[in-house]
Amino acid sequence: MKRVILVLLLGLAGGVGGHYALLFRLQPKNVSALDAQLAWIQRDLQLTPEQYARIRAIHEQSSAHLLALAGQVARMRTEFAAFEHQRKTVGEIDFIEFAHFVEERRLIDRECLKSTQRLVDASADVMNPQQRARYLSLLPISHRSAVATPN
Amino acid sequence: MPTTPDPLDPLLDRWREVAMPKLSSEALNHEVWRRIADAEIAENPLTIWGRIENAFSRPSFAAAFVAACTLFGLFLAELRVSHLQAQRNVQLAQAYIRLIDPLLQADNRDVASARSPQS
Repeated sequence: MKRVILVLLLGLAGGVGGHYALLFRLQPKNVSALDAQLAWIQRDLQLTPEQYARIRAIHEQSSAHLLALAGQVARMRTEFAAFEHQRKTVGEIDFIEFAHFVEERRLIDRECLKSTQRLVDASADVMNPQQRARYLSLLPISHRSAVATPN
Repeated sequence: MPTTPDPLDPLLDRWREVAMPKLSSEALNHEVWRRIADAEIAENPLTIWGRIENAFSRPSFAAAFVAACTLFGLFLAELRVSHLQAQRNVQLAQAYIRLIDPLLQADNRDVASARSPQS
């Protein structure tokens, strides 16, 4: 009786111990956002170290510009909320000012799209055709420029 | 006057032919009890629990059982890791798209500022 219980407990300990040991060893680690994403791209697309270094440099170069654009987009959304608030409370807005706002927002949106497409194009240029096709398939159609889109 | 043959006679004849076992009294005692135990087991077959206990009392079975449990645990961990990896890949793909698109980055900021307490 004691022997049966002892063997059962040993089996349980072996199973649970092995399970959590392997889980701990193979569980994806949390690293910084850009590092994790680029590491995933490298693994998924099987990039060579040279390709990875180039693509990493491209992303690092453009990240400041993309962050600045994201800041502008956030500012435009705040301004839009202010217009909407004014329309609801006062009942009217300055249409000239609103037209300027719409034009500026359109320019910023276009610049955002172009910046993203430039980044995608520059990254895709570093890749071979198979890697490029796989990379572009991961992105929404709007992010692929006409140049980068495979036929 | 003819007498009927005694049925014990052939048995007694056979006993005389069989050599006496060359066992010490202790070994003979052990052998007798072993045969009695075997006979009892034959009369009363083991219950399921008895069979389990009997199997677990064998070191080879116990070792195989522990090894099988460990392997099963490792197999489940492998399944779990591959599931987590697949989930993480989807999250990374979405995060990458957000990273390279300022419009989506701004969405994230809006969500983050809406969630954070007002300062």
